Amino acid sequence: MSEMFFAGGLSWWVVIAVGLGALAAVAFQFIGLKQRLGTQRAAWLTLLRSVVYAALIFFLLSPGLIHKRVTKLRRPLSLLIDTSQSMALPAASGKSRLDLVKEKLLGGNEPLIEKLARDYDLRVYQFNTSLDPVAPSEISKLSAGGRGTRLVEILKEASRDAGPQGAIIVFSDGIANGESKGAIDSGAVSAPIFTVGFGESQGFVDLRVADLTAPEFAFRGREFKLDLLVQAYGLAGKTVPLYFNRGKNLVATRSVNIDKDAFEQRITLAYTPKEIGAHSFSVSAAAQPGEQIADNNHKEFRVEVQRDKLRVLTLSGSPAWNYRFLRMALKQDPFIDLVSFVFLRTPTDVVDVPESQLSLIPFPIDEIFLEELKNFDVVFLDDFSYRSYFNIQYLERVRDFVRDGGGLAMMGGIRSFDSGGYAESPLREVLPVELDGKGRYRMKTRARGILTSSGKAHPITRLLPDPQANEEAWKKMPPLTSLNLVARSRGETLLQAAEDGAGGGPPLLTVGRFGKGRTLALMSDDIWRWSFGAVGARESPQNHLKLIRHSVRWLAQEPTFEQVQIRSVGGPRAPGEKSEFKIQVLNDDFTPAAHAILKIVVTGAEGEQTRLEASEESEGQYRADFTPAREGAYRIEAEAQLGGKTLGRDRKNFSVAFPYAEAEDGRPRPELLKQIAETSRGEFIAGAELNAASLERVAAKLNLLAPSEIVERTEIPLWSTLTTFSIILILLSSEWWLRRKWGMI
Amino acid sequence: MDRRDFLRLLSYGCLAAAGLAPAKSPAGQAQERERPIQFVFAQLKYRGGDWNPHALAVQPLMEELMQRTSVEAAPARREMTLTDPDLFSHPFLYMSGKYEFEPFNLDEIDILRRFLSYGGFLLVDDALGQPGYGFDQSLRREMKRIFPEKEFSRLPTAHPALRSYYLLWRIGGVRIVRPYVEGINIGATTPVVYCQNDLGGAWERDQLGNWINPCTPGGEPQRRDAFHLGINLILYAMTENYKDDLIHVPFIQRRLSR
Repeated sequence: MSEMFFAGGLSWWVVIAVGLGALAAVAFQFIGLKQRLGTQRAAWLTLLRSVVYAALIFFLLSPGLIHKRVTKLRRPLSLLIDTSQSMALPAASGKSRLDLVKEKLLGGNEPLIEKLARDYDLRVYQFNTSLDPVAPSEISKLSAGGRGTRLVEILKEASRDAGPQGAIIVFSDGIANGESKGAIDSGAVSAPIFTVGFGESQGFVDLRVADLTAPEFAFRGREFKLDLLVQAYGLAGKTVPLYFNRGKNLVATRSVNIDKDAFEQRITLAYTPKEIGAHSFSVSAAAQPGEQIADNNHKEFRVEVQRDKLRVLTLSGSPAWNYRFLRMALKQDPFIDLVSFVFLRTPTDVVDVPESQLSLIPFPIDEIFLEELKNFDVVFLDDFSYRSYFNIQYLERVRDFVRDGGGLAMMGGIRSFDSGGYAESPLREVLPVELDGKGRYRMKTRARGILTSSGKAHPITRLLPDPQANEEAWKKMPPLTSLNLVARSRGETLLQAAEDGAGGGPPLLTVGRFGKGRTLALMSDDIWRWSFGAVGARESPQNHLKLIRHSVRWLAQEPTFEQVQIRSVGGPRAPGEKSEFKIQVLNDDFTPAAHAILKIVVTGAEGEQTRLEASEESEGQYRADFTPAREGAYRIEAEAQLGGKTLGRDRKNFSVAFPYAEAEDGRPRPELLKQIAETSRGEFIAGAELNAASLERVAAKLNLLAPSEIVERTEIPLWSTLTTFSIILILLSSEWWLRRKWGMI
Repeated sequence: MDRRDFLRLLSYGCLAAAGLAPAKSPAGQAQERERPIQFVFAQLKYRGGDWNPHALAVQPLMEELMQRTSVEAAPARREMTLTDPDLFSHPFLYMSGKYEFEPFNLDEIDILRRFLSYGGFLLVDDALGQPGYGFDQSLRREMKRIFPEKEFSRLPTAHPALRSYYLLWRIGGVRIVRPYVEGINIGATTPVVYCQNDLGGAWERDQLGNWINPCTPGGEPQRRDAFHLGINLILYAMTENYKDDLIHVPFIQRRLSR
């Protein structure tokens, strides 16, 4: 296609004046020639001259030709199809959301996908947690199996790929459960996004237990609460029972009256655990008729029930300063619940008033040893001999208590160790020192506690974090004036008694194990001087306090004092994804334990157990991997052994869940799709309304945003060509030739 | 005696009859000769006034203490000044007097403050019994210097110091100047207890075993109350708020309500 144009810069009046002048010249020429050659010949010559004048005036306007070449563009169009799990949910028509998408794209005489492929540079993708290209011919084979919908993130990525000329049509139900779950920013996408929504909000039927908040830890005997959100769609008018179970036992039920569609109610349930340990709980509601997602009616969680405080029992043979300062240390610790008995009177003491005027209570032997002992974490026998008060068989209960995981500390004194008759008692095998019945209680000593190599590392005697400062602190401890001498240590000796600072003395503080429990023997009833004597020496009494507190925590097997500790549960903690556990194992003296044998078991919500293999990454540091198969609450338990001896065990709860919770809430979200379309200058189209007309609207909108063709122009000037010059020359030559022929020249 | 006590004694008796009573080990027999001393009655010597109005008061109290309770006590008192290097080996300190005494120096003030703040106990006994005069005046002045923010307050009858062994309703002494005792509280404890009824005078006995000071107006029951208070305060010092423990409270309340 060509168009003429005039490039001349002359004004119109100049051209008219020149034209009039030429006309006048031609008229004069015709009149003059007519007289000499007659009318016909004059007319021929005048015609020739007129044509020349006309041509000159025409060329004075600088005429030219424009050639246009129009090229039609094929705009890039990205077609994104949501293949997340929610697209498999049934839509109102009974087909799945993805089935409806396929039907729209592939159905009819001229399938939409073919029309789009013809008009656009079409790129087809499927998306869920990632964006993957698919061939148009593969659309029919798509399945909705994606574990999440990173809708917002995917659209941003697709917009970048589409470029400024591109456009996006996304087929989705609008569920977005990636990192960004809400609206999209206008600056985040450059390409217009046309959203086609599938799934009918009106016909959606679902009941779900959402947003369950429960504590990870709870305390025995103390009520804990769990808050949950119940949502229901399409179930207005129904009353649904909610079941709260511990394991398989029903704990409580609650009726939920669903009084409207799009129902939502926050519910608080309470439970008072009575047993220590890790317990599985669940909240569930029965599947309702027509409900499209049943999995989200159930939520399970695990709560680790602990003691709210460490319960410590002390039995003291008589009032003594050691008891007083032991009590002070224990009472000042807010995490210790102390029950103490001090025997203020012996059977030989005579009182001068009736019993009713005394504050003495009978020692509840049966209640303590037969009933309550299991509820304590640590028992202190403080200068206490059972012989005066109860039968030796009660000590068998103490032995069993330790064997089952309790902590036992025996403090020195005339009524302790050998002099308390324990060499002939069931506690002989329990205590970490050897009793032979010959041990003595020695007074008037001046013994200091000297740290052994184990004592330097052990958490009980590690009063200060800096090893040097810790050693100095121990050296400054006031000397003790009494000692219980035992045959030898059977556990780890942390302190040796040494007069005048000399090493190699008898054991002063020894720790050990018996069964699942821990034991401690402190061979003096004079350690109160480490508190009050330190004050007199203008030193801090805190070291005595720390020693007592550390001892209690170690005996009670507090996690921070455990030799086996599951330090971290790393990894995504999602089904099919590898989780990584780091486990620290320490020797009895708390140095790293190399080449330990670890038994690691992971227990799932249904009680299924998986044994894990551990690898030693560095000295005392072990690692194990676990790939959970399904969502739920899990527990890992690790036990370490070295040389046939159990070093300790630890356990931790962890939960496994898909990060996207795709099946949690299957409601279609057309409002999000509308917001995305509006923000990106696109348009929202309901899936049912997608047809040729709506596609025309899409095309029109795209044309408004950017032209769909490219025009190439070529300019050809007519006045400055050889042809133009040749025509004028031929005309003038013809006139000259006629004039000569007719005898005018 | 309740059924359990009776059965317990019966079981001990049966064991003994069967020859199964826990025999004393040789070591134990040796130890019987030398029992460890758990309690030393330390008396404060101070400058001025009369720090020792009843020189023979302590031994009778110690005899009572050992006869009535399981505490192994040194029969004689230990006299010490506030600057005695052994002061912090004796967390129980007794201070008595009749007259005004010299103010403590700054070092002594600091020592006594630390002594009382970190577990020590001070029993103060006014042998003159004249509130606002003599020893009382000096004592209150010094306590104000030691604990400027603290005041003496009357110990309630439910205070663990008055229930640590005997359930005390009356405060004894040579004379009943105050029917109550006062104390200075630090946190949940009462490290200073002050009696103005001359407890030491009531405890004092001569070498022949005769009481030196008559107790008026209550006579011997009043003296007995003074001993009971002395024993209670020693046990309180050694067991702190033990009788405030939950396990004791209902039992004590039942006894008090009878």
